[in-house]
Amino acid sequence: MNHIELNELDIASPTVVRAAARDFAAALADTPQFKAFESAYAELNKDTAARQALSAYQEKSKSLRAVLMLNAVSETDRAELERLKAEYVTRPTVQAYAAAEAELTALCQQTAGMISQAIGLNYAASCGASCCG
Amino acid sequence: MPLRAARLAVDNAMKNTVTLSPELEQAADNLIQNLLASEAFLTYQQALVAMNSDTDARGLLELLSTLQAGLRHKQNANNVTQTDVEELRSIQQQVQANPAIMAYAQSQQEAVNFLREVNQEISQLLGADFAALAKQSTC
Repeated sequence: MNHIELNELDIASPTVVRAAARDFAAALADTPQFKAFESAYAELNKDTAARQALSAYQEKSKSLRAVLMLNAVSETDRAELERLKAEYVTRPTVQAYAAAEAELTALCQQTAGMISQAIGLNYAASCGASCCG
Repeated sequence: MPLRAARLAVDNAMKNTVTLSPELEQAADNLIQNLLASEAFLTYQQALVAMNSDTDARGLLELLSTLQAGLRHKQNANNVTQTDVEELRSIQQQVQANPAIMAYAQSQQEAVNFLREVNQEISQLLGADFAALAKQSTC
């Protein structure tokens, strides 16, 4: 194998790379998408009714976990589960948060895609974000 | 952060191409240039070039890929023999003993480790995991 010594002068030190990473994070945090996401998150956190609706849905879902796995949920329970889910997802704060998150996700995917293409490694997958996580 | 919870409301992820602001594009490009100039990525690129120019390494990887594909077909047909398994193990051992392939694998792992550190730096400042936000949901 041909081994070419790396010229130290041409190498970006980890400190310099980390500084570039922070600059990138600052630029991302300054985008309208990120600001909208933060704002939507704050609004969602303030929405007590949304939190209660989510909690009710999660509790019902948990109580039905075994029968859900067996696909043996009664029509009544299924309808109740759907009603609880709808109660949560139709909250304006939840919808605003979901929309803001989708916008931010699209932006992050675009930038991470640029990085992945340039460095020859899938950024998200390399950093441990599985598609099903 | 109620990311997962709110995803109940987003069944269809946005797939549109986003136009990046000049500031963000420049910051991303600067990060890319610095990553490419880091020791971890320079070593990774060198190891990749070295492996690709090594005939033995390329041949072994092609053979391994062919054997693995053949074995998958045979597994589906419930037709795997002890000889198939031994042949695959032998090639796997040869791959693991090939210096060019192992240098590449090692350098790739180091590049991935460095990328994770960089992601941590970004995520710490953002207050959210950048890689998790950037993942493509395909399932």
